[in-house]
Amino acid sequence: MDRPELAAEVDRAWARPVVLTPVFALISLVGGASPSFGLRANLLVLATGGVLFWLGMSAAVHRRPSPPRLSRRAAWWLLPLLLFGVVEGATFLNGSQAYPTLSRLADPVLEHYWARSAAYFGWLWAFWAMIRR
Amino acid sequence: MSAGQLLVGVLFTTSLGLFAAVEIASRREGSRVPSLGDVCGVVMRYRVGPLPVGRIAMFGFWWWLGWHFLAR
Repeated sequence: MDRPELAAEVDRAWARPVVLTPVFALISLVGGASPSFGLRANLLVLATGGVLFWLGMSAAVHRRPSPPRLSRRAAWWLLPLLLFGVVEGATFLNGSQAYPTLSRLADPVLEHYWARSAAYFGWLWAFWAMIRR
Repeated sequence: MSAGQLLVGVLFTTSLGLFAAVEIASRREGSRVPSLGDVCGVVMRYRVGPLPVGRIAMFGFWWWLGWHFLAR
């Protein structure tokens, strides 16, 4: 007897972590070797971001349920968000190297291959986590 | 590294630490603080008519962030 209410939605084979982890790792390893302002770096981010954007807008990926509305306790998220926004905004408006923005602070770190690859990997997984929502 | 750069670095690190702390608090049993994923899920459900503005904005922002840090 069919019991649709008990049927768990199963991810497609290609959408499972066992498949996505090596795919994202491969993209990250290539991306880590692509220097800033290069054609390869731009094309890789545009292509991978474009595919993930398209997947997120389509119904190809099973989405996890979200609460119907947020409780007042969600205001706790404003604490890190506001601190980040104020620091980033102030350093951006200041515009000096003495008080650098996050991207200027991150630049020397992201020049290293493994740091850049790790950042790529994190960016891809975070994008995937958003698609699932 | 100058004192200014150190100060900014500490403030950004504090902000990231607070993100982690709120996420950990949200995952405790019986917590009424929603997780970051739940917050994103609610934001991404926002629509203007048939247009999923929340999803487009979140994906667009994340796409731009990757391009900004990893290609520029």
